[in-house]
Amino acid sequence: MSSWIGLVARLVVGTVWVVAGALKLPDPAATVRAVRAYQLLPEAIVPTVGHLLPLVEVALGLCLLAGLLTRVAGTVSTLLLLAFVVGIAAAWARGLQIECGCFGGGGAAALDADPTAAYPWDIARDLALAAASAWLVVRPRTRLALDSLLLAPLPQPERPAR
Amino acid sequence: MTDKRTPAERVAQLRLDERNAARRRNLLVVAAVVAVIAVLVAVGLVVQGKRDNTGAPASMTPTGVTADYGVVVGKKDAAHTVVIYEDFQCPICNEFEKVTSAKVQAAIKAGDITVEYRMVSFLDRVSKNAYSSRAANAALAVLHVAGPSAFQKFHTTLFENQPEEGTAGPENSTLIDDAVKAGADRGKVSKLINEGAYDDWVTNATDAMSQHGVSGTPTAFIDGKVAGKNPADTIEALLKLIG
Repeated sequence: MSSWIGLVARLVVGTVWVVAGALKLPDPAATVRAVRAYQLLPEAIVPTVGHLLPLVEVALGLCLLAGLLTRVAGTVSTLLLLAFVVGIAAAWARGLQIECGCFGGGGAAALDADPTAAYPWDIARDLALAAASAWLVVRPRTRLALDSLLLAPLPQPERPAR
Repeated sequence: MTDKRTPAERVAQLRLDERNAARRRNLLVVAAVVAVIAVLVAVGLVVQGKRDNTGAPASMTPTGVTADYGVVVGKKDAAHTVVIYEDFQCPICNEFEKVTSAKVQAAIKAGDITVEYRMVSFLDRVSKNAYSSRAANAALAVLHVAGPSAFQKFHTTLFENQPEEGTAGPENSTLIDDAVKAGADRGKVSKLINEGAYDDWVTNATDAMSQHGVSGTPTAFIDGKVAGKNPADTIEALLKLIG
């Protein structure tokens, strides 16, 4: 049963990563501006992070969809999502008015009456995805996964008879 | 040396060795796959870096712009300086212009304020034909060919013709016609508009806005201070200044 839940978690989180990364890939400059808008990282590394992020997202998403290195991918996914939550919460707390840039764009918003209205939703979504990712860290053996072809199952150690 | 372990202990040891061997093999597989993915991501990083030409010197710079990627309209000795960041595809900028434009132009004429327009482009993604960047390029072409007051006239026209989000805006031929109406020479301006002569410059202007910590449009500064926390406040602050 848990291996089926794992499959669903992989497909949901994996799809979100692939879509989020693919939407950012065509416009690297926009992703750099989105990263800069959070005002958390030193300017020296902002362009590299902006260029790297969509690639990592797509790679992560493909690994999850294929069930490749599920535990590693689940760990990276959980950490990255928690980092995003911290970023959005920090922007919110400092009163920054930015678009999260989660699915492309960002860094600059066509402002409306309350640009901060989206923050709670962004945070809730990322927390839910982080929970699904964490499940895969705890239960990395899932259905229809490349891992089951690549990785040998570990035999359970025999408990000494008493 | 004799083995003092019981048969059960020997089986347990055997299983443990098996498990450790399997674990070592799995770790190798994981490391190999991680290495392959890391190489692919590194290649992608180089490609993305090459595709992003932000910060490279613009191939052409229009005459009459400031070092902060602005276009100054008005008299130098005016009492107040207003800086406005706008994107021609941004709907709230259009609202902002509708409410303030006439009064702003009157205040400029009266010598009460100078306005530095910093036109940026980050909204091509909501336009079917890149209106955001084409309009910005065209506005700079008009500035280059015909000067600040023609720029301002054309700036107003570009907002009046702003397409709805997700639709196509006026084509270059229309932009050229409107540029001529604003006072630009057709031959000169059409070449600059069709070539996207100032596209690099607009990219750098957009990056400069981000480096200045301005995260949205419209944003206005009055005498160096941010005017209002949201567009409604900004309009109020500006109208209070020039009322």
